[in-house]
Amino acid sequence: MPVPGLAVAILALLQHPALSPCPLLGFSWQVCSRAVQAMIEVLAKLGRGPVFLAGEVLECVITFTNPLSASSTSASSEMLAWASAQIHCQFHASENRVALPPSDGSKHDVQAENETVFVPNRGERGQCILSTPPKILFCDLRLDPGESKSYSYCETLPIDGPPSFRGQSVKYVYKLTIGCQRVNSPIKLLRVPFRVLVLHGLKDYQFPQDEAVAPSNPFLEEEEGLKKDSRLADLATELLMVATSRRSLHLYNISNTRGKVGTFCIFKTVYKIGEDVIGTFNFSEGDIPCLQFSVSLQTEESIQEEFQRRRGQPVSFSTHARHQEACLHTAQSSFSLPIPLSSTPGFTTNIVSLKWRLHFEFVTSGESAGTCLVRGSQSEAVTWTGVEQMEVDTFSWDLPIKVLPTNPILASYVSQFSNTNSITI
Amino acid sequence: MYFLSGWPKRLLCPLEVLEQPLHIQTDPQRAFFAVLSPSQLSIWYCRPSVLIVSYKELSKAASQFGPYKQAEWRPDSTMIAVSTANGYILFFEIPSARDKYLYEPVYPKGGPHLKGTPHYKEEQCAPSLNLEMKKVLDLQASITSLQSTIEDLLVATADGFLHLIHWDGMTNGRKAINLCTVPFSVDLQSSRAGSLLGFEDVYVRDMEYCATLDGFAVVFNDGRVGFITPMSSKFTAEQLHGVWAQDVIDGTCVAVNNKYRLMAFGCANGSVQVYTIDTTTGAMQFSHKLELTPKQYPDIWNKTGPVKLMRWSPDSCVVMVTWECGGLSLWSVFGAQLICTLGGDFAYQSDGSKKDPLKISSMTWGSEGYHLWVIDGSSSNVKPERDANNEAHQFGILQFHFIKSALTVNPCMSNQEQVLLQGEDRLYLNCGDATQAQSPRNASAHSEHKPTRERGPFSDGSLDSQGLSTLLGHRHWHVVQIHSTYLESNWPIRFSAIDKLGQNVAVVGKFGFAHYSLLTKKWKLFGNITQEQNMMVTGGLAWWNDFIVLACYNLNDHQEELRVYLRTSNLDNAFAHITKLQADTLLLSIFRDIVILFRADCSICLYSIERRPEGLNPTASIQVLQEVSMSRYIPHPFLVVSVTLTSVRTETGITLKMPQQACEAESIMLNLAGQLIMLQRDRSGPQIRDKDNNPNQRKHLPFCAPVVLAQSVENVWTTCRINKQKRHLLEALWLSCGGAGMKVWLPLFPRDHRKPHSFLSRRIMLPFHINIYPLAVLFEDALVLGAVNDTVLYDCLYTQTSAREHLEVLFPFSIVERTSQIYLHHILRQLLVRNLGEQALLLAHSCATLPYFSHVLELMLHEVLEEEATSREPIPDPLLPTVAKFITEFPLFLQTVVHCARKTEYALWNYLFAAVGNPKDLFEECLMAQDLDTAASYLIILQNMEVPAVSRQHATLLFNTALEQGKWDLCRHMIRFLKAIGSGETETPPATPTTQEPSSSSGFEFFRHRSISLSQSAENLHGKFNLTKTLSMPSGPSGKRWSKDSDCAENMYIDMMLWRHARHLLEEIKLKDLGCFAAQLGFELIGWLCKERARAARVEDFVFALKKLHKDFLWPFPVIPASSINSPFKNGKYKTAVGEQLLKSQSADTFVNMEMDTGVSNTPRSRSWLGTIGSSQREIDNVSSHGPHMQDAFLSPLLSKGDECSIGSATDLTETSSVVDGDWTMVDENFSSLSLTQSELEHLSLELASKGPHKSQVQLRYLLHIFMEAGCLDWCIIIGLILRESSVINQVFSIMQSSDIDGEICQNIKTGLHAVDKWASTDCPGYKPFLNSIKPQIQKLSEIVEEQVQPEAFQPVNLSKVTEQANPRAEESRTSSSHGTNPQSDAGNGNASRHEEDKSKTEDEDSFQEGSYDCIVS
Repeated sequence: MPVPGLAVAILALLQHPALSPCPLLGFSWQVCSRAVQAMIEVLAKLGRGPVFLAGEVLECVITFTNPLSASSTSASSEMLAWASAQIHCQFHASENRVALPPSDGSKHDVQAENETVFVPNRGERGQCILSTPPKILFCDLRLDPGESKSYSYCETLPIDGPPSFRGQSVKYVYKLTIGCQRVNSPIKLLRVPFRVLVLHGLKDYQFPQDEAVAPSNPFLEEEEGLKKDSRLADLATELLMVATSRRSLHLYNISNTRGKVGTFCIFKTVYKIGEDVIGTFNFSEGDIPCLQFSVSLQTEESIQEEFQRRRGQPVSFSTHARHQEACLHTAQSSFSLPIPLSSTPGFTTNIVSLKWRLHFEFVTSGESAGTCLVRGSQSEAVTWTGVEQMEVDTFSWDLPIKVLPTNPILASYVSQFSNTNSITI
Repeated sequence: MYFLSGWPKRLLCPLEVLEQPLHIQTDPQRAFFAVLSPSQLSIWYCRPSVLIVSYKELSKAASQFGPYKQAEWRPDSTMIAVSTANGYILFFEIPSARDKYLYEPVYPKGGPHLKGTPHYKEEQCAPSLNLEMKKVLDLQASITSLQSTIEDLLVATADGFLHLIHWDGMTNGRKAINLCTVPFSVDLQSSRAGSLLGFEDVYVRDMEYCATLDGFAVVFNDGRVGFITPMSSKFTAEQLHGVWAQDVIDGTCVAVNNKYRLMAFGCANGSVQVYTIDTTTGAMQFSHKLELTPKQYPDIWNKTGPVKLMRWSPDSCVVMVTWECGGLSLWSVFGAQLICTLGGDFAYQSDGSKKDPLKISSMTWGSEGYHLWVIDGSSSNVKPERDANNEAHQFGILQFHFIKSALTVNPCMSNQEQVLLQGEDRLYLNCGDATQAQSPRNASAHSEHKPTRERGPFSDGSLDSQGLSTLLGHRHWHVVQIHSTYLESNWPIRFSAIDKLGQNVAVVGKFGFAHYSLLTKKWKLFGNITQEQNMMVTGGLAWWNDFIVLACYNLNDHQEELRVYLRTSNLDNAFAHITKLQADTLLLSIFRDIVILFRADCSICLYSIERRPEGLNPTASIQVLQEVSMSRYIPHPFLVVSVTLTSVRTETGITLKMPQQACEAESIMLNLAGQLIMLQRDRSGPQIRDKDNNPNQRKHLPFCAPVVLAQSVENVWTTCRINKQKRHLLEALWLSCGGAGMKVWLPLFPRDHRKPHSFLSRRIMLPFHINIYPLAVLFEDALVLGAVNDTVLYDCLYTQTSAREHLEVLFPFSIVERTSQIYLHHILRQLLVRNLGEQALLLAHSCATLPYFSHVLELMLHEVLEEEATSREPIPDPLLPTVAKFITEFPLFLQTVVHCARKTEYALWNYLFAAVGNPKDLFEECLMAQDLDTAASYLIILQNMEVPAVSRQHATLLFNTALEQGKWDLCRHMIRFLKAIGSGETETPPATPTTQEPSSSSGFEFFRHRSISLSQSAENLHGKFNLTKTLSMPSGPSGKRWSKDSDCAENMYIDMMLWRHARHLLEEIKLKDLGCFAAQLGFELIGWLCKERARAARVEDFVFALKKLHKDFLWPFPVIPASSINSPFKNGKYKTAVGEQLLKSQSADTFVNMEMDTGVSNTPRSRSWLGTIGSSQREIDNVSSHGPHMQDAFLSPLLSKGDECSIGSATDLTETSSVVDGDWTMVDENFSSLSLTQSELEHLSLELASKGPHKSQVQLRYLLHIFMEAGCLDWCIIIGLILRESSVINQVFSIMQSSDIDGEICQNIKTGLHAVDKWASTDCPGYKPFLNSIKPQIQKLSEIVEEQVQPEAFQPVNLSKVTEQANPRAEESRTSSSHGTNPQSDAGNGNASRHEEDKSKTEDEDSFQEGSYDCIVS
């Protein structure tokens, strides 16, 4: 639900006088803050890797360490006033492609560097379209030299949010922000970017036994949360497998105005990211020689009409893999295009939609086969050589395919995000 | 290594004149291939695969010459010789029309172009060629073999002659040698005059020239094979000599591998015998054999027919073999089998029917081995009549695609911890391991001693399994498509290299190179194309940190150069460091900071490489260190497969004392045609003394004479990393030896760092078999990574018969999958066999932290057990006891044995336990070690090996322990198990423990079946069990059982145990455990409590119980609200705002002590604060402090304490991990989307912390309900106290009044409350307000009690006295109050607060809230 107004509401609330930080809180820490400011290391670790399915529980272990500095003999305890964590999804749209409805909040395209209020998306471009309630990790943390404390932050990712996406017009970026503050110091933010995959329709799946199993006994609750979460992942994996494992023959005749070029065959049209798109060509039955073909695996990013800056502005394509082959004297050939694990599966929001397709281009001969080929007779030794130049036509064809997410753990292996992030404050 | 990829491509001959092709041959440069059909010679271009020119023989001439048979290219590709059936040789010249290209597309004007690069024609179009027949030669006998040498064409004819024909033909014509005149012997030493061939009609059936051996490998028509070598430079009959291969008598064909000097002879029995030449005697020496095994190919291994054809790949790494009956099989140079299309999906359709194997009449490799063109001989049979027009074009030329390991061409090993495969247009990387592989390494250290699997979110187990699955299970590749711009102008890719971290790759094509970053997903190409096209990489390339080091030939300056490019700068020669070289480089490798070059003049040159930070772009500088001439040892530079520096030495005793030396370049490892040669630095001389004085001296240490370490070596892995913990693995040398598996040259370390005996060997070479082809060795992880071909069938999709010709039907789709293998158990076992147990122990201990170490032990035990227990021959010195003893050295012993037992047959158990010890003892050891899951596994074994009484006794033991430890799953299983035994007892022995269904079968067979299913269910225990099952288990099956008479005794017995445990829990005041116990096992709590109301369910010590509950449920002790806390929430929702006090040790005593200590020291702090805030506030404070409802006298020390204790410590992982995210969400909903400010956070956290976790609250309420139902009123009181709900107390009291409750209970409650009150006054004043609020009820209660019983009356005076005692101290410390109350007014305040004690709590809170709000000054 990318509601720009939500972000506005948040902004407005932040200006509320009652919510401004109270100076009184600072008093009891003054002694500490006067001491030489040493460091506290904050390390956030996503144990399972930086990729999640929407609806899953994100778990992050945040460790605060007072590094033991051997040099300073007078190593003192360090104090942190509080730390809090929150997940948000930042939306950013390209100015000249997307026209967002005017709203008073959106004029703050870049969040102000407000240093006294915990604003997770402080200093970031775009709007916060989705955020989870902030959770307090602790207040008043004292760390002796060399001491470290770990906190676990768990939050269910909204199941109906957009997927992480970096397109040409629109970006959806998910981040876990850990804000912490020393006394009398500005708030420091540690950002942990992660990737969210969305499997549409997952939320419509009710867990049928849920009601039946729901334990009335509170002592049975312990493992329930974990189980439910793993069940979500299992269900998603199963759904994905059902959706993508079915194979059937899809045959297409390729022909242009002059006649038949050949046939194209693909075995399924629904894929997971990380899979290979495999297809075969048969040119032996064609009438028109084909010199060359290329297959590109593309995404088509289109802005919904009401948000388009200009009417009828072109959609933008990006190519993820390409296969090109000369096929003049080829009867049958095949290609395999890897769908990158790091690419975004198809999705639609109220602003943008991303669709996948195979884009074909063929270079075909102007003449039909056979006429140019054999010069010779039975009477004498003949030498046949190919023609030097061929009049050619080019034409293209698009085949939409569906690309779905995959098991988030698998996707973690190639993620550009790292599992651990840290700052020193 | 080589892997088949995808489907083959079928070529389409555009000619209408149809002749079935029969021979295919690429030219020496592999740019063209010639296709022969009976009267037609065609030249195709390789990329793109298009027909360039075709020559059709006149029909008249064709009948004279006979059909074409074989074609051979002249080495410079300007001529082709074609032999015909009637003994003619036709010489064709191939004049190329310069700058003329074929099939250039002409796009319509203004129309869209597909793509246009400047060199489009050269790169995308085929060159124009012509074919002219130059000469015809009649040899008058049918020609059996053609072989091209540099200057001559060698022709073997069926009349026993060898004809030597000069390519230019004119100068000295031809020479014929009669084979009968060539002497043959077993070796070249025995005698100059060996026996002549002796009989007339012997001729050469097949032959091939071997340049590196300078001679011909020949196969005679009678099946004998041999090698003919000229004794001098001249090739005449008198100078020729032949040697026999004595064991081969059914040879059919030959293929020569020049790089490894191997001759592969195909035999009629389907095997391939590979020979080499013994360089000292000149005799033919058997190397290895390529043979399908009956194990892998049971239905084909003997039925392949004779070997038809063999072709070595261009890089000499693999050989393709085909048989008369068809099929392709691919073998590594020393005989590891990689692919065979005679089995699996290649041979069978998805419906199980057998396919006709692909019959191959001719095949040839394309450039760099990416393609293999094959003439499908079987297609001629399919052709007849049917749809001639379409079918006619289907010439059976198939183009297979291959992916190969980067190791095959670029053997710089030091950085190969990744698997990198290179395909024609893409790279395959084992993705993610670079980062993920580290995690198990680190995490495993912590998880080592956690035998029980914890489901907690932070247990390292989950990390381990994930990291491990990355290494072992995960089969995805990271595919990188090579940049099309680079590829188009520089196809084919010749070398590729990946950096140490696996984040950057570089590829080398025909010219120049390009590199790619996996992080940014961007390619970097030469900005200046001229620079790219002027550079030709010769000796491979390697990464050195951020630099790419490569040896190349500068086409512009005609100069060999060593270049170093920086990855981060633009790819331009301006940023490169260039060193000129004297001779061509053949190989390049890097060891730490040393670049090793092997040059064409057979010398090894060492350079030092150093990073120089110069400005923005750091450069690397290179300096010569040392040059070592190897020409004495190397007959031909082409034979050197790899050269590398290693730190491996033979004397490890030295390095043990000085481990820092281990990283130095100690020896050169040289792979000479499969022979691994080591040259060590000579440290024997006086140089050792000079070493300290002059560091340069040591770099020039000479090398000793070479030592041969191993034969048949394909790849070598060493590492320059140091890890003192895993020295065995890191200082070892790993070899892959093709069909012979792998070898490791393991260092042996003297024990206890003693000086080793000089007669003890310091290293040992151990061979071991692995099932995969190794591509990378992960040293620390004791893993070998590899890849295997897999196939996917698509034929089922085609149902119409017309589709039979589709390639998708004929062939499965080939994919490459990653594999990995553990090998440690082989090595350990071999060490044990060799009586090197000490070394084995050292090695095993160094690896004990690996996540799969238990698996290693288990595998070892299992293999030895299977071998020795099933051996038919007696084993005088069995290894099993040794292995068993060895495993006892590890804490995993118990687990390993039981896992192994459960995976082996019952019949072997006796043998196993005879070696490892009695299972009863092992079971008890498990119990002592608290490893209950393993104990449960042993129980299954006991159950099968012992009488029921014994297993029952043990099961009871385990059940009790499981109850104590709260292993509920295990408890449920034990209940089931015990019942099963019980039911079994009533039946006839041997016991058949039925759990689900009574079975009719009995005896041994059934026994085994049971044990398996039981063990399976036990394994499900952690993972698969879904909730429904676990929930229904206690009530479901057990409920049914209970009705059965035979089980009653057993059930009684189990119930007794359950009751006993429940009583025990209650007596220990473990309410939380009791709740879990009842919930998990379906224990009927209320009924039992009713029975126990007056016994175990009586609370003896209220205070202790209260404290215990606080602790168990992580419930904070109440604290009296601090007035100085400012709540911004005026809505009154958080009226019960109180400071939280959760000390690490929650005993009240320490709390008090600390309070006293810190109270004084805090005073100055608050004073200083007073100063800064100013006097106006003080006035307000004074006003508020004189207010009527002052209770804050208790408080100030707590507040200052608040600084020190962590509010969030309930969720503090360092203390307890059970509360995951507790109740952080309990923020006011209005503000849920808000970003909170400091003060709000502070306030909220305080409020929340005073309550305790939400879950605890629910649980407490649940218990309260249970106790209420069961009438355990004293417990209700305690829970009411802890929840601080007066309604609960009231309810209990009303029950006590209304119903007629045992007076003893009332008395008990009364004394209990009294005790609590007393305790609260002294130790936990936070309880006072609540106790005060319920005081009237207590009063009433005591009246009731007094009515009933008269004794020691409850004295209210007492209570107030206690409060008085508490007050002064509180007031004292109040001086440090942040509230800033005037110390002088203390006494008055104290009195005031005492007077107000009777006020109800809520009122107090209210007024307090207001007061504190007034205090806010902004």
